[in-house]
Amino acid sequence: MKKKLGTIRENGFLYVFEHFIDAHRAALIALLALLAIAFPYTPVADRSTQRIVTMILLYAMLGMGLNVLTGYAGMVSLGHAGFYGIGAYCCALLTTRLNFSFWPALLLAGCLAALVGFLLGLPSLRLSGTYLSIVTLGFCEIVQMVLKQWDSVTNGNYGIRNIPKPELFGHQFNLQNGGFYQIILALSVLTALGCLAIKRSKYGRAFQAIRDDELAAGMMGVRTARYKILAFVISAFITGVAGGFYSVINNGYIEPNNFVFNVSVLIISVVVVGGLGTIRGMFFGAALLQLFPQVFPQVFRFLNEWRFVIYGVLLVAAMRFRPQGALGWQSTLPYPLSRRTREELAHRSVLPGGEKGATP
Amino acid sequence: MQTFLGAVINGLALGMAYALIAVGYSMVFGVLRLINFSHGAVYAFGAYMVFFFVSLKLGLLASILLSVVISGLLAMLVDKVALEPLRKKKSIPIATLITTIGVSFIIQNVLSIEYVFGSERRAFPSTNLFANLSIGNITIQSSQIIMLIVAVLLLGVLTFLVQGTKVGLAMRAIEQNRKAAHLAGINVDLVISFTFFIGGACAAIAGALIGGYYGVINPGMGSTIGLKAFAAAVVGGIGVLHGAVVGGLVVGVVECVAAQYLGSNVRDPMAFVILILILILKPNGLFGKKGITKV
Amino acid sequence: MKKWIAIILVAALIALSGVSLAESEGIIKIAVAGPMTGDNAEYGIGFANAAKLMAEKWNSEKGGVHVGDETYKIEIVEYDDKSDSDEAAIIAENIVSDPDIWGVIGHFASGICMVAAPTYQDAQYINISPTSSHADYSGIGDYIFRNNTVITVETATGADIAINDLGGQNIGVLSIDTEWGVSAGDAMEANIEALGGNFVLRQEVSESAVDFATEIANFRDANVDVIMVAGMYGTLAPFAVACKNSGYDVRLVGCSNAYTDNLLSIAGDAAEGIYAPVSFFAGNPDPAVQEYVQAYTDAYGTAPSALTTQAYDSVGILLEAIERAGVLDREAVKDAMYETDYQGMSGYTTFDEIGDAQKVFTKIVVRNGAFVVAE
Repeated sequence: MKKKLGTIRENGFLYVFEHFIDAHRAALIALLALLAIAFPYTPVADRSTQRIVTMILLYAMLGMGLNVLTGYAGMVSLGHAGFYGIGAYCCALLTTRLNFSFWPALLLAGCLAALVGFLLGLPSLRLSGTYLSIVTLGFCEIVQMVLKQWDSVTNGNYGIRNIPKPELFGHQFNLQNGGFYQIILALSVLTALGCLAIKRSKYGRAFQAIRDDELAAGMMGVRTARYKILAFVISAFITGVAGGFYSVINNGYIEPNNFVFNVSVLIISVVVVGGLGTIRGMFFGAALLQLFPQVFPQVFRFLNEWRFVIYGVLLVAAMRFRPQGALGWQSTLPYPLSRRTREELAHRSVLPGGEKGATP
Repeated sequence: MQTFLGAVINGLALGMAYALIAVGYSMVFGVLRLINFSHGAVYAFGAYMVFFFVSLKLGLLASILLSVVISGLLAMLVDKVALEPLRKKKSIPIATLITTIGVSFIIQNVLSIEYVFGSERRAFPSTNLFANLSIGNITIQSSQIIMLIVAVLLLGVLTFLVQGTKVGLAMRAIEQNRKAAHLAGINVDLVISFTFFIGGACAAIAGALIGGYYGVINPGMGSTIGLKAFAAAVVGGIGVLHGAVVGGLVVGVVECVAAQYLGSNVRDPMAFVILILILILKPNGLFGKKGITKV
Repeated sequence: MKKWIAIILVAALIALSGVSLAESEGIIKIAVAGPMTGDNAEYGIGFANAAKLMAEKWNSEKGGVHVGDETYKIEIVEYDDKSDSDEAAIIAENIVSDPDIWGVIGHFASGICMVAAPTYQDAQYINISPTSSHADYSGIGDYIFRNNTVITVETATGADIAINDLGGQNIGVLSIDTEWGVSAGDAMEANIEALGGNFVLRQEVSESAVDFATEIANFRDANVDVIMVAGMYGTLAPFAVACKNSGYDVRLVGCSNAYTDNLLSIAGDAAEGIYAPVSFFAGNPDPAVQEYVQAYTDAYGTAPSALTTQAYDSVGILLEAIERAGVLDREAVKDAMYETDYQGMSGYTTFDEIGDAQKVFTKIVVRNGAFVVAE
C-alpha cells in the first residue's frame, strides 16, 4: 500500500520522517546491518575509532539495561555501577581463577548480577521514588567496599589482571581484528531485540502501568510486587553481561575504581539524554556522551578544561529544554494494533480505509 | 570501654559535621520534596569563598558572612535558572534529580579549573580559636565545640523560622499543597527562592566550619560527605530539621564505632548500610512523618 | 541558514586541526599522558611542564636529537587521560596510531597505567611511567619501563629513618586504600620488621579522607611513637594537622611524593619534623640540579616536585636512548633503553632486566618551614 508523505511544511518533519522510515523499514534495516557489519573493515576503523565505537555500543547496552528499570517501570537507580562491577568481576574471576571460557562466564556474570538485582529489588516493595534511588546509591557504595575489602577473592585494590581475551573455535577476538566490536554489536542488538520484545509483551505493559500509576495498576490486577522485582532482575542481568564484556576489553585489567558512582551517573545520563523508555535513544545518548569528550576538546582546545563544566551544562539544558530526551518524541504513527484487531476492524469497516487508517 | 567512649566522642564530632550539611538538605526537601544533589557542591563552593576572602585579608568572620550570602545567592540562582522552569513545566521527578546532579558537576568543576582554584587540596584557616579541652585521654578541639554550638544554634534558628514566622508558615503551606498556597495569596516563587537561599547559606556555614576543623579543602570535598549527610538526613527523617541533626549524629557515631571495631575500611559505606536498614525497617526515618513516601 | 554556517565552521575547524597535525618532517614526538584536568590534574600538568622543559633544553642546546646524521626537533604532545581508565584506553589507541611518537611518558595512577600499558607493548611504543607502582607493571612487557623507584627500596629508607634516625619504639603504618597505598603500606610493614623495628599497628584510610580521629585514637592507644605514612601530601598534611590538633605527640615519615611545597602550605606548623626519603631534592647543592630548579621555577612559578622531576628525567632517558640507538627503529631504541646509565636530577638511574629503575635516596626533613637534608 502506497502512502503519500506530503511535504514537511504540511505535516511536520517528524510525521514525514516517521512515515518514511515506516515505509522503507526493511531496506533501512538492511542498510544499517550492512554498515554495522562492514564497519571494522572500512578504512575509518583504526584502533581508536574501533575502541570509541565499542564503548558507545557498550554504553548503549548499559543504557538499555537501566532503561528497563527506569524508562519502563519508572524506578530510578543510581547504583547501576554496582551491577556493572559485579558482572565484570564475576566474569574476570571465572576466567582467570577457574579457567572458564569467556562465553559461559559472561552468562554467569549476568546471572549473578540478576540474583543480586533480585535482592536489591526486595526493598522496592516498601520504598518508592526518591527513597529507592538512595538505596540503590548505597548499594553501589557497598559493592565498592566488598570489591576493595574481599582481598582473598577480588584481590582488593590491586585489581585483576591478565583477563584472557574471548575465543571461539580457536579464533581470538581482540580490538585490532574488530572482534570486540563484533561481540558488543551482537550483544547490543540482542539486548535491543530483547527489550523490544519485553516492551511489547504483557510484561512491558505491566511495567508501564506501574510507572504511570502504581496504585491503579495494582487495582487493575497487575501484581506490582512481582513485576517490580522482575524489572530489577532483567535490568541487572543486562548490566551484568555488559560488565562481563567490559572486563575483557579493558586490556585485561579491572580494579574497583572502574565502578564508582560517576559511572552510575554516566549510565543514567545516557538514558535521560537519549530519551527515557526508547531504545533508539540509548544508542543516540551513548554516542553523544561518549563522543562529546573525544570531539569537543579537539575542536575547541582552549575549552579543554571546561569540558566537565560543559558536560554539566549539557545535562541541565537537556532537562530544561527537552526532558523527554533527544529522541524521545511522541510517535505520530497510528497506534500499531494487533493483526486480529485490525482484521476485525476492517471487517466491521469502522476505520475508513481499513488497515492502517493513515490514508489521506 | 575507654576506646568505645573515644570512638563515640569522635563519632559525635564527625556527626556534627554531617548534621550541619544534613540540615540544608532537609530544609529544601521539607518544602519541595526534592533531593538537591547540588547541596554538596554548594558546600564546597562556600568553603572556597571563605578561602578566597581570607586570602584577600578580610578576616575570618567577615569572610564567612560574605561566603554565606554569596552561597545563598548561588543556590537561589540554581533554582531560578535550572529548577524553576522544570517545576513550571511539571517535569518528571527524574528530570530535577538529573538537573541537580548536573549543577553539582558544574560547580565542582568550575572550582577545579586551574585558573579558578585548581583541583589540588588547599590549606584552610583553622577554626581552633581557643584552647583544646582535655578530659583524661580524650581531647576535644575548640573547632569541634564551635561546630556543636553553631549546629545547635542553626537548628534553633531554622526551627523558629519554619515554625514561628510567616515565611515558615508559607513554607509549610507550600509543602502541603503548592496550588492551594498560591491561591491563598502566597508568593510561591519567592518563598521557594528564599528556601534555597537558606539551604545555600547553611551549606556555606557547614563548609566554613568543617573546612576549619580539618584545615584542608578541595573541590571534590562535597561529594562523599554530601552523600553521607544526605543519608543522615534520611535516617533522621528527611524534611524534619531536628531529625537531620540526630541522623547526622547517629551516622557519625555508628561510622566511628564501626571503624574502631571492624576496621577503618568499612567507614565510608557504613552510612549507607544504616540508611538501607532504616529505610527497610522504618521507611520514613527516625522522626519522619507518616505517608510522605507516596508521591 | 545559521545552521549551515555553524556546520561549515565546525568542519573548517576540524580540517584546520587536521592540517596542523600533517606537517611533521624532521620531528620526533614524545607523548605525555596523564590527568591534565580533573582530579590529580596537578600531576599530569607537572609531567607536561617538566617534559617541555627537557625538550626545550635539548632543542636549544643541541638543536634536537641526533639520530645517525640527521637532527630532529623534539615536540611534546599532551594527552589528557582525566584519571579515567576508559579514557586512558582510548588515548593509548590514539597515541599508537601516530607513527611520529617515539615514546610515551606517563599515566599517573597505577591502575590507569595498567590499562594503557598493554596497548603500548602491543604496538611496540616505549612507555616510561614516572609514577606507576603496581608490582606487575613493568612485567607487562619489554617496552614498559618505570622511572619510579621500586617501592620496597623507598620504604626501606623510610623504615631506616623511623627506626634509626627517630628511634621509634612502636612504629605504626597509615596507608591510603589505593593500589599504591596498599603496596607501599605492605612494604613498610615488611621493611620495619626486616630492620629489627617493632611494628605495632596498621591503619587504612580512603584517599579522600580528612577525618583521622579514629585512626589517631588507635595509634595513641597502641603507644605508637613513629608513624610511616603511605599517602600523598593530600593525606599526610591533614593527618599531621589532625595529630597536632588532638595533642598527639608523634613523629611522621612520609614517602618521596610527600616532598612538595603543598605539604608545607597545608600542614603549616604541623609539618615541622616530618621526614621523607627522596630521590630528588631541590636543595641539592649539585649545580646541575640548581640550574634545573631555577629553570623550572622561572618557567612555571613553583619548585619542581619529586614526581615531576622523575617525568623530567624520563624524557632525558628516552632521548638519550634514541641517540644511542642511532636509528629510528622502535626495537633498537627499546634495546638501547636497557643500557641506560643516566645521571639525572632524580639521581643516577639504570634499568634492570624488567625495566625497573634503580635509584639512591636522600633523607630530608622539614625544619623551620622548609625542607632540608636530614643530618
